Amino acid sequence: MAIASASIAPGGLRALLRSRRTRAGLLNAAPIVLYLLILFVYPIFGTLLLSLKGENGGLTLHWYADALSGSNFEVLLTTLRISGETAVLSLLIGFVLAYAVSRLRPVWAGLVMVIVVVPHFISALVRTYGWIILLGEHGLVNNLLVKLHLPGTPFSLLYNELGVIIGTTSVMLPYTVLVLYGVMRSVDRRLLAAAASMGAGRLVTFRRVYLPLVAPGMATAGLLSFILCLGYYLTPALMGGPKQTVVASLIDQQVMKQNQWNGAAALGVILLLLTFAGLLLLRLASRIGASARTRRAA
Amino acid sequence: MIGLRSTWTGRITLTIASALILVFLALPIVLIVVTSFGSDALGAFPPQSWTLGWYRAIFADGSKWPAALSLSALVATITTVFSVGLGITAATALTRSELPLRSAVYGLVLAPLLIPQVVIALGLFLIFEPASMLGSPLAIALGHTVLAAPIAVMILVATLRGIDERLEDAAASMGAGRATIARRITFPLAAPGIVAAAIFSFITSFDEFFIAQFLSTTNTTTLPVQVFNVLEFDADPTVTAVSALLIAVAVLALVLIGLARWLGAGKQSGLLPVEPAAGIAVSGGETV
Repeated sequence: MAIASASIAPGGLRALLRSRRTRAGLLNAAPIVLYLLILFVYPIFGTLLLSLKGENGGLTLHWYADALSGSNFEVLLTTLRISGETAVLSLLIGFVLAYAVSRLRPVWAGLVMVIVVVPHFISALVRTYGWIILLGEHGLVNNLLVKLHLPGTPFSLLYNELGVIIGTTSVMLPYTVLVLYGVMRSVDRRLLAAAASMGAGRLVTFRRVYLPLVAPGMATAGLLSFILCLGYYLTPALMGGPKQTVVASLIDQQVMKQNQWNGAAALGVILLLLTFAGLLLLRLASRIGASARTRRAA
Repeated sequence: MIGLRSTWTGRITLTIASALILVFLALPIVLIVVTSFGSDALGAFPPQSWTLGWYRAIFADGSKWPAALSLSALVATITTVFSVGLGITAATALTRSELPLRSAVYGLVLAPLLIPQVVIALGLFLIFEPASMLGSPLAIALGHTVLAAPIAVMILVATLRGIDERLEDAAASMGAGRATIARRITFPLAAPGIVAAAIFSFITSFDEFFIAQFLSTTNTTTLPVQVFNVLEFDADPTVTAVSALLIAVAVLALVLIGLARWLGAGKQSGLLPVEPAAGIAVSGGETV
């Protein structure tokens, strides 16, 4: 992308290059920019081209028509549904935990955040396996529920949507907690005290003062877990049933088992477009948050 | 929440809820570690009796784990070298020079962390398959660097920003050349950050699944791909012990990073660097 600076007028470019600090900057940025152009941007463009290529070489949209019809379309809906459910759950649970941590003394908050962050750095595959052991018919959770003599036990918690959601939520939760904790820590407590001093009840203070202050952070956290969930198929593949097939597992199947690269490429591009839409919303949310901050500061 | 918290019942409810959430996060991990020492590796909890047998079975004759383990270690080592090299130059460019289109460069660097990994994996498959490089450790490492280098850049940008540039200016004013400044001033101060970047790159590659899955062949699989295959197709009880090993490697890595920061300088505050995770949240170039 540094090369794109050619859009600056030639004379200006030469002047820029003459500056020693600029030359050093371009030289140092070149390796990673080239690396990512070759092994990240180019492959994605390759995928895009392949998804538009017909059997006899011409351009076609029929791979997209395939990807958006019949059972494939249902897989897309499943992906959106699972991502949405996961985003809402990890947002709600993350809100409770981040709120509790933001009220703790720094030492305790640090300790709790270690419990949040360490699992984040442990392979999601391994954590998913832990859930498979836990949620099985004779797993720890069902044994506990049977001992409590709950009606209907043992529950089937695995190889259905419930199992998938439990797994994906535990994978996405550290992200939402980290984002929300950062936002909540920066809330000025004096604003809440001021609201209370002017006679606002606790619920009113929460709804009218606290929630608007943390709302942009909530939007970021929710969208982030939604985006990250879109392309994630480890947990749905291992903890779900056939009804929990997501787009990413379909891509994997088409490439590995059916040698259907064009179809897989079209699915990949659809996933990419959904991610871009999510990122756009994320950007919008952070912009609204920033403008709200400056308004408060004024 | 504020209403809840201010009353005793509210406070207790919030505490219990948070404790349950922490259990929710930690339980799967603790369970795997405990179960891996139990005689019935796939079942009852708590185990009836204890054994180290599953760990011995990992390295027994005819086991497929040692090959996967050494492939993963090799790939992760190559990835670490690439990522730290790319990371140091990129972080220098981003923090120590005038860079045209700086936020575009930073955006490009962070993009691989937000794009679905399965899409990156598919793209890499499409270029490595025609080159018949599937299953090659180098191909997998080249792919892993796409994910690990951005993390290394983020850590090193934060590290270089934390170093007082006036120290470098002072050395320059006393006649030190650029190489001397880098060697005698910047490098020693940045060492803990470089160690952290290296360890994070290693662990990112060591745990990575999607790219490895697409670039593996049936004969060459990395450890996570092997674990996935076992979980999906056949129930091999040694997988619990292998998972516990993966946990141990991650925890060891985090301890080492904490140690490097603690030894490196008193000025660092946190024990665990959360920048990589939190940095993803501030997408785009806002942080630059």
